[in-house]
Amino acid sequence: MQSFIATFSRRSMLRACAAAFIVAAGVGTALAQSQPPVTMAINQSPWLNSFVAMVEEYENETGNKIELDVTPFGGLLEKIRNSVRGGQGAYDIVNVNSLWLSEIYSGGFLAPLGDVQAGYGLPEGVLTYGDTTNWDAEAGTFTGGGALMGVPVNGNVQVLYYNTDIYAKLGLHPPKTWDELLANAQAIQKEGEAYGFVPRAARDSIVYNFTPYLFSHDAAFFRITDSGKADVVVNSPEALKALQTYVKLATESGPPGPGNIAQGELIQLLATGKGAQAIAVIAAWGQLEDPNASRVVGKIDAALLPAGPAGTVASSAGHWVAGIPRNVPPEKQKAALAFLDWFAAKERQVDYVRAGGVPVRGDITGADLGDDAAFRFIGAYSQNAQHAVMGLPFAQASEASDAMALSLNRAVISEMTPAQALNQAAADLAGVLERNGFAVTKLPDL
Amino acid sequence: MPAAAGVTRGGIDAMISNEPSYKERRNKRWIAISLLPAVALFIVLTAFPVVNLLALSFFHVEWREATSAFSFVGLDNYHRLFSTEKVFWDGVRNTAFFAVTAVSCQMVLGFSMALAVRTAGSYGRAVLTGIFLLPIVVPPIVIGTMWRLIMGREFGLANMLLGLLGLGPVDWLGNPDIALASVIFVDIWHWTPFVFLLMLAGLESLDGEVIEAARMDTRSRWQQIRHVVLPMMMPTIVVTLMFRVILSFKVFDEVYLLTSGGPGTATEVVNFSIYRTFFRQDQVGYGSAMSIVTLFAISVVIILARGFAQRRAARRSAVS
Repeated sequence: MQSFIATFSRRSMLRACAAAFIVAAGVGTALAQSQPPVTMAINQSPWLNSFVAMVEEYENETGNKIELDVTPFGGLLEKIRNSVRGGQGAYDIVNVNSLWLSEIYSGGFLAPLGDVQAGYGLPEGVLTYGDTTNWDAEAGTFTGGGALMGVPVNGNVQVLYYNTDIYAKLGLHPPKTWDELLANAQAIQKEGEAYGFVPRAARDSIVYNFTPYLFSHDAAFFRITDSGKADVVVNSPEALKALQTYVKLATESGPPGPGNIAQGELIQLLATGKGAQAIAVIAAWGQLEDPNASRVVGKIDAALLPAGPAGTVASSAGHWVAGIPRNVPPEKQKAALAFLDWFAAKERQVDYVRAGGVPVRGDITGADLGDDAAFRFIGAYSQNAQHAVMGLPFAQASEASDAMALSLNRAVISEMTPAQALNQAAADLAGVLERNGFAVTKLPDL
Repeated sequence: MPAAAGVTRGGIDAMISNEPSYKERRNKRWIAISLLPAVALFIVLTAFPVVNLLALSFFHVEWREATSAFSFVGLDNYHRLFSTEKVFWDGVRNTAFFAVTAVSCQMVLGFSMALAVRTAGSYGRAVLTGIFLLPIVVPPIVIGTMWRLIMGREFGLANMLLGLLGLGPVDWLGNPDIALASVIFVDIWHWTPFVFLLMLAGLESLDGEVIEAARMDTRSRWQQIRHVVLPMMMPTIVVTLMFRVILSFKVFDEVYLLTSGGPGTATEVVNFSIYRTFFRQDQVGYGSAMSIVTLFAISVVIILARGFAQRRAARRSAVS
């Protein structure tokens, strides 16, 4: 030791320090953040941890910082409104649920991504969930030709869940039509081991849950025929058939009291094996495969939703889109877009799925995930995502949804017949559209 | 006549003319200045928000190009509320039923519990008070979660217990015929301790000699309560009743957490309608109109209750 100190002259020490400085500077440059820190408002949902894992990956890879302001679902919209309506936004990225997209887009709160970075378009392979990433301000609705407003960050569409153990025991197969689904449900119900089908028919979610039934019957809530003109068609004969199917499944093959079953109860029934089939969001997959929260790990599979009488398939979009507010500085907007673009790349989306997230691309296959059985949902998810529709594509979607939800819920709890419920829903929807400047035509009552 | 020593001519004139003296005027000024901060706080924190709410109720608010656009719509929001609205009025009916039922039960139970504690020994009093007060210290979010778990149809504790007796299961929150009763039950459980606390304070402040005399003069405990304790407790009962009625009109958290107003409108209450309209649907003008109507209705209830209490007090003092 002494000899080492003796030979370690002042000059040697200076050389060593200089070398250390150069090495440190080199490493520092490699990890130095090239973008300013970004703050994102995000919801506390079951898939949050997978998103946090991606943020950590981004920070490690680039040195850039993403700060997440995590808020429960119920409070996020108000936080977003408060931020984007102010002179200076608190958030550089806002995570917007599909139901709020039209309100946030039409309010002019988000910067079109083409303005943030000239010519920016979604990377090929990223899903648009019924063109909900694009907004036509003049028409006041989603269209593929409208301005690109955001990048999807979680592809939460509805899929058909079924218990493979029960299916195997009763010799059932994934249904291709609503009639087959009903037949499966009746067979399971008759066996008595589990409820044949679990609806999500509580007032706050029934419109979303009913949307696939409606659109697969080639019906709709309303159709915009021209700028400022709308046809309310929710009380068409096709819609009646769809609601009759929904009510039949909910009341004849489901648990008692279906009018108060929300997402939590639905997942609970599936996870305990008490519910054999359900139409629910793909984000529930993680909970159903969690050994600490589920008794059916490895016994649940997902499938494409059943087709309507003419073979039409529809799923309802319940995804999340990250937008960049107008009221943040341009350098922050660019930093936000850099992160979102990084996130949407295929290799990152594979990592996202591995971390428990639902991808926002339609080109990820089981092979990309090493054919791991834990990710067996990916095929059904991609199929349903291709058929995702936005049931209420206009700014007052929340108001319209609440107005119709009550009638649909009353049909499920037998306070109204399906025909009465749809007539009332049509009247309520027409009222919402008229109050918001649409010239409305309605179908005659059923 | 010469003026008395120390009394000026002006002072005598002031006394004769009944004009306030300088000291009185100074006192009044001081009182006015002292009240100013409270008045300013009242204006900023209460009057201004209410006036703002009233003003908003005459507008339709939209957001375009990230800017709010206010369109004056006159009484349209009120017209809509009174002509086509259904859910809000279902909520009014449920809230009124909720207030009458829940508060009646809470008053009877709270008073009985206070009587039980008042007559218990010191050890029993400490134990009973602790047990009775427990629900009121539990945060509402915990209460909602706890009772949702207890009342769940499939996995709830209530149905498990009923199952042991060979009964049920009952769909406490999903059956429209009993969902409101279930929410009322939770509210009674939650708020009876509040009534108990005020009643106990009232009972403790009663004159012990009067109670002792009543014990000797009456034949039963019921007579003692009916003819002596209840009349003496009336001021406390009226104040407690008013508190509870006002608070019960503000019910929100229990409904939000247990049923979200459903199934149908079985558990819809006024505040939930306002929340949904104002916040979720972002209908600021219409939500304001709902709020103003609710505020007006509650004010009428309070004024009537106060008038009733004052008339009763005046009658009693005239009799005595």
